[in-house]
Amino acid sequence: MTSFQSTLGDEPGIAEELAESQQAISIAEFFEKNKHMLGFDSGARGLVTAVKEAVDNALDAAEEAGILPDIYVEIQEDGDYYRLIVEDNGPGLTKESLPKVFGKLLYGSRFHAREQSRGQQGIGISAAVLYSQLTSGKPAKITSRTEGASDAQYFELIVDTDDNEPEISVEETTTWDRPHGTRIELEMEANMRARQQLHDYIQHTAVVNPHARLELREPSSHFKFERATDQLPEETEEIRPHPHGVELGTVIKMLAATDSQTVSGFLQEEFTRVGKKTAESVIDAFRDRHYGREMRWRPPANHEAIDLEAAVTDATANKGPDATAAFAEAVQSEVASRERLAHHELLDIVDSVADTVEDDHGTTFGDTVRENAVEAVWLALIDAAPTDDSVADASGADASGTDADESRLVADLYDLADDATSTRKDDEIVQAFAVRLAGTFEDETDDDPRHRLTHRTLREYVDRAAELTEEYDDVAFGDTARENVTDAIWDVMVTVPDDPPLVRELEGDRDATSDLVDGMRATDIMAPPTRCLSPISADLIEAGLEKEFDADFYASATRDAEVHGGDPFIVEAGIAYGDDLPAEGSANVMRFANRVPLVYQRGACATTDVVKSIGWRNYGLDQPGGSGLPNGPVVIMVHVASTNVPFTSESKDAVANVPEIEDEIELAIREAARDLKSFLNKRRSMQKRRKKQNVLGTILPEMAEKVAEVTERDEPNIDDAIARIMNNVLVEREVKPNGDGKAVSVVVENNSGTNETLEITEIVSAEPTDLSDGATVVEMDGEWFVKWEAEVSSDDEAALEYVAPDDASFDLDVKGVESEKLTVKQ
Amino acid sequence: MSADNDQQAREQLIDLAAQFYDQFELGEIPHMSVPTRTKNNIEYDEDKDVWVYGDRESTRSANSVRGARKLLKAVYTIEFLADQLEEDRSSTLRELYYLSESWDNDNAQFTSQDESNSLVEDLEIVSGVTREDFHMRPEESGAKVMGPLHIREQTKRGDRDIHCQLDVGQGGYQIPNNPDMIEFLDNDADFVLCVETGGMRDRLVENGFDEEYDAIVVHLGGQPARATRRLTKRFHDELGLPVVVFTDGDPWSYRIYGSVAYGSIKSAHLSEYLATPEADYIGIQPADIVEYDLPTDPLSDSDINALESELEDPRFQTDYWEEQIELQLEIGKKSEQQSLASHGLDFVTDTYLPERLDAMGVI
Repeated sequence: MTSFQSTLGDEPGIAEELAESQQAISIAEFFEKNKHMLGFDSGARGLVTAVKEAVDNALDAAEEAGILPDIYVEIQEDGDYYRLIVEDNGPGLTKESLPKVFGKLLYGSRFHAREQSRGQQGIGISAAVLYSQLTSGKPAKITSRTEGASDAQYFELIVDTDDNEPEISVEETTTWDRPHGTRIELEMEANMRARQQLHDYIQHTAVVNPHARLELREPSSHFKFERATDQLPEETEEIRPHPHGVELGTVIKMLAATDSQTVSGFLQEEFTRVGKKTAESVIDAFRDRHYGREMRWRPPANHEAIDLEAAVTDATANKGPDATAAFAEAVQSEVASRERLAHHELLDIVDSVADTVEDDHGTTFGDTVRENAVEAVWLALIDAAPTDDSVADASGADASGTDADESRLVADLYDLADDATSTRKDDEIVQAFAVRLAGTFEDETDDDPRHRLTHRTLREYVDRAAELTEEYDDVAFGDTARENVTDAIWDVMVTVPDDPPLVRELEGDRDATSDLVDGMRATDIMAPPTRCLSPISADLIEAGLEKEFDADFYASATRDAEVHGGDPFIVEAGIAYGDDLPAEGSANVMRFANRVPLVYQRGACATTDVVKSIGWRNYGLDQPGGSGLPNGPVVIMVHVASTNVPFTSESKDAVANVPEIEDEIELAIREAARDLKSFLNKRRSMQKRRKKQNVLGTILPEMAEKVAEVTERDEPNIDDAIARIMNNVLVEREVKPNGDGKAVSVVVENNSGTNETLEITEIVSAEPTDLSDGATVVEMDGEWFVKWEAEVSSDDEAALEYVAPDDASFDLDVKGVESEKLTVKQ
Repeated sequence: MSADNDQQAREQLIDLAAQFYDQFELGEIPHMSVPTRTKNNIEYDEDKDVWVYGDRESTRSANSVRGARKLLKAVYTIEFLADQLEEDRSSTLRELYYLSESWDNDNAQFTSQDESNSLVEDLEIVSGVTREDFHMRPEESGAKVMGPLHIREQTKRGDRDIHCQLDVGQGGYQIPNNPDMIEFLDNDADFVLCVETGGMRDRLVENGFDEEYDAIVVHLGGQPARATRRLTKRFHDELGLPVVVFTDGDPWSYRIYGSVAYGSIKSAHLSEYLATPEADYIGIQPADIVEYDLPTDPLSDSDINALESELEDPRFQTDYWEEQIELQLEIGKKSEQQSLASHGLDFVTDTYLPERLDAMGVI
């Protein structure tokens, strides 16, 4: 039986043969085969994507040069082909860079920059060129003129897919009427089936770029989108990565690339928002993770029969009685003055005392002496001193009456555990637990008497002691209790002063680097600066929406910057409601990333997911089934601005479901939706009021008529009553004869529950005199405009008074109060 | 009733309309305040010995669409009543409800008879004129009287002299809607026995109870109409006859006694005119159920609720009623008047009523 294996063995050349056919693929070739990844999957879509790439580039270029963008897009039909022309007024491209920008994939200035821009990878426009040459076989025709240049450059080029380089077929100088800018002409197989998406793209671009002027000419129609503001978006600045958002692999790469020697220097140099202090905090967090903390034990209390002085004296040899006594005494008193003491703190104490005694007594205290002293004191502290008769006896006679062979660690740990656990735990249980935990510390003494533990090891110790306690004493020692005890001990422990490794040492040490990354994440660090971002701003969002949609109401919200993956991002939302927006069907959701409209793959986008997850009924919108897109005349727009927007694919159609970004999207939408809610509530209450007014407006006159009939009197005047019923503001003109003229008073009666400010204009046909305070009069074309602004508090009255000639006529105009709340009688 | 009286009632109504007129003219919101007609707002009037409305008032105001409609209907009703008085006609409450359909204004039409009934009550209270004086009567007429009593009734067709035993058939004398039209001529009665059910009344008449004990047997027929209550009060006040009430032994029947003796909640404004506080309850008492070993039904949940709500009703807060109601809740049973027949058809007239009347000191 022949097997594949044996065949392989028989023909030793097969691997080589296979290897011969293996070769590197050019990126251009790769995308040639995978057009869909860049959004060129069909003729319909290809056209939209090409427009999008060209317009995005044009906007970026103009903005970067501080020019208000003016972009012209034209689509011409040419047999089976379409010709796309995009012209901008940007700064133009130099002769050298132009071919590469259009004819080489992955060529750009953006990829390595942490700065908000529309394009990032440098794929888009060259991919469009690639698509054009693939489908039509014709080169891209590009004209560009830089500012101040007398002539324009004209190129015809294609992408050479074999080596991803531009292949220029025509290069000449030409004249162009634009003073500066770029024009690209692409011919491609396409169709206009995606016309709606194209219009959406252009319209949405106009909404988020209120500073840009856009023009779209199609074979059959022509659209213009004028500017809403002359204010360019603020210029962005490039920033370094933020420590909270970098991954281990990135840090390893950065460590290899940095010039810094020390970790502190590395952190300060390579990251944003890290100064000396923050770097120190990060390094402390690193130390806790890498080296562990040292346990600090309590120095012996007075009643404990531990004679540190004697221990130091015993450990110090050949230093003369005076110096030895002074040394021992000083160490003892220094130790006793501390509340708790870690091993390295003891080292410091002994060092400084030794230095002092050296100076005072002229005796040299060498390293050995110091070490001996430290060891003697430390072992006494952790009750691990060699079993010397006197010590054993002393501890046996311990005044506290504890067990003779119970370590003093037990008492220390007992107090910590007792404080940290609930009062319901029996003393004996805590005691048993403390004994076991002390046991693990004692075991540790053999390995490292300094008692250095990482948080994780400490937790393991606590777990072990707790489990044993549970097993032998048959009581519960739950997770919360364990956690509390661990935290209590961890808080007592102290960060060690060991120097962090140097950058070059870290480089090859994956574990240590991982500890550093953990430390970076655990440290509080200021949010990254936002000058790298250019949000549209709440005002301009509203301006953009107002420009493109005729609605009754606009709201917007811009969130503060947040961080994801080291990249800061800002989410903005806007809502337009009512009027001309189509009331049928579900809301129009407009998605934007870095001011670029996203028109495809709506269902795959985090933005859509968030909009669907919000309970819109709470905000007064109709939402069938209580979830999904709301119905009604609503436009919801969401803009995610980031130095690196996480897209689901290279075609940049949908924002990936990153929880941090989703949270911000939700908060931004909710912020704007709250304004919508109060608008809708107000509108509903006004509608109710109008309805009430309509009904009462018929009933009350009928009642008045009937009352008059029954009582056989004239019909009563009911305006005052109606104003009062409607909590209305009543404005009434009363005219009384006054000598030759008339005394006029315009009385404002506020029956509403709130203060009202009214602007009253009385147009009088003859000159009025004796105006009351606060009123002004202006004559225009034989008419006198009496203006008066009144603030009338709830249930109060105010009056405008003047005198006018007998033949004067009047016309009253009141502003500042909703018409539903206003009754004017004249 | 005299034309003077009609004229006065009419003026009272028109004054009400004038009040709305003035409110309009003063720029006020037209409104009308009436006492709240709930059991929480009735209190005992020590002087008059009846239950009347307390101080709590509900305001019908044109402030709201509902209130405005109510007042509009009130004005239309005022007009109708005033016209009716002028023309000396009368109508029933139900007729008023249907009549509103003919009004030219949709907003003024009543949506239910409860609404028109309650509006007429409002007008009674606010104007201080009784419904009878508006010439409004209920659809079903008052109940029947049988007993040794001679009366004269003013009718539209002249005065009629009637003896309520000799001149009437088995059914008895029909109480007219306005019993103030009746003049008492003569009587041989010793007491008045008000009976809840028609069956029991017929049993008493058949057994000749009215003749044997000189009793005026008044048929209440469920919740007694105003006319029945008014006549009963007149028997007591004008003829000095003791009044006893004979009903089923369940919570709903106690309320029937309550409305005879204390006045009903809905007509507390007329208590002085309708209630007979001296009326006594003869049975069936919960104690009788035990004593006479009567056939019973268990109390339903709604019975229990009704009993408990009676314990909170100020009209029933006497030692007697508290004891009886608590006893009934304890035994959890109720009995009908007819259950006495379990001891024979004559048991009620031969044994039960004489024993009870004797115990109460009526005979």
